[in-house]
Amino acid sequence: MNLNSSEEALRDFAGLYESHGARLKSIACNLLGNVADAEDAVQEAFLKAYRAKDRFKGDSAPFTWLYRILVNACLDTGRRRQRRREDQEPETTFDLRTAPSQDHPLRVALEAALRKVEGRPRAVFLLAEVEGFTHREIAEILEIAEGTSKHDLFVAKRELRRLLAGTRPPAIEGPHP
Amino acid sequence: MREVTCADLELALATDDPALREALARHAEGCAACQAELTLAREIEAAAPSLRKAWASPGLDERVRQSWRAEARTRRPLRAASWVSLAAAALLVVGLGVRAWKGAPAPDAGEAALAFPALDPATQQLLSEQAAAEVEKAEAAYVRSVDALARLAEPRLQEPLSPALTNYREKLLLLDTAIAACRAEVERNRFNAQLRLELLSLYREKRDTLDTLLKEDLNAL
Repeated sequence: MNLNSSEEALRDFAGLYESHGARLKSIACNLLGNVADAEDAVQEAFLKAYRAKDRFKGDSAPFTWLYRILVNACLDTGRRRQRRREDQEPETTFDLRTAPSQDHPLRVALEAALRKVEGRPRAVFLLAEVEGFTHREIAEILEIAEGTSKHDLFVAKRELRRLLAGTRPPAIEGPHP
Repeated sequence: MREVTCADLELALATDDPALREALARHAEGCAACQAELTLAREIEAAAPSLRKAWASPGLDERVRQSWRAEARTRRPLRAASWVSLAAAALLVVGLGVRAWKGAPAPDAGEAALAFPALDPATQQLLSEQAAAEVEKAEAAYVRSVDALARLAEPRLQEPLSPALTNYREKLLLLDTAIAACRAEVERNRFNAQLRLELLSLYREKRDTLDTLLKEDLNAL
């Protein structure tokens, strides 16, 4: 991808938006919890990426660079919210279209539990299990080692199992509590 | 054949190793507690893709493209006219900043939520953490209302060019440029009360401009 000339850059970014806009919105919505903030974050990410296009060195794919900007912005927002203790406030409700074939009885409980998983493990879970990125791609996006990505996914899943265990029928018998 | 015990549960759930996963599945057949954990883990993995969100947002598509176009225009090589625009923007920023320092007009009802807590630039140039958080919260609500107004004004800005409309577009572009510059400064120093006041003044100016644009009959100008 040539990000040098202005016209070409506009075309290239339009292509990036076409290819990745929907996925970026989904990630931002899951990280921020509402559509309005998600759309603002996506717009900001594309603008930041456009402004910084001259600094893009091509050592990673442009799309991972774009996801990095978005996820970092969402995590920063999350940290600011945590500082302000706003994460307890009711979030804006919205009507989202989910493909019926993809719907799942555990979805609502999982979504609520995921909101309680904080920081990078939450982002790694979203990128890996929801959006289907590989650990190599996640490592590039978040600028972490692949091993760290795997560990964060493990932490997120363990936390989700702990949070969701109470919603499941208890095991009848077993050697550990 | 590898064997696992209850103590290996976490490791076996975390691994990508198919042999270890198979061993866990065999162990779970005779262990209800591990079976429950394994079932829940599988259900989480199965349900995760359903969290993917999709919604149409034509407004966002246009906003993104407009922001690139505005950015591309500001990055063109500077000609004489551009220097005039830059000078005007600088004067606008300085002028609004001075006005903010001297005391901007009393906020109207729409700005009531944007009361800066204990903020007197003459005596207090730095905000406390709590005050900064309160200001950011109020600021975010105000920015959303200005953005909503901007979306309302978009159809008017797309109308065929007239001298009046050209003026509005240029003024809004200058304001957006000044806002972006001011926001960047605020991000670097979020406790600086003076910068916050400048940002407020710029947003107020943008709101007034959009408000006037929506009320005016451009064809009559």
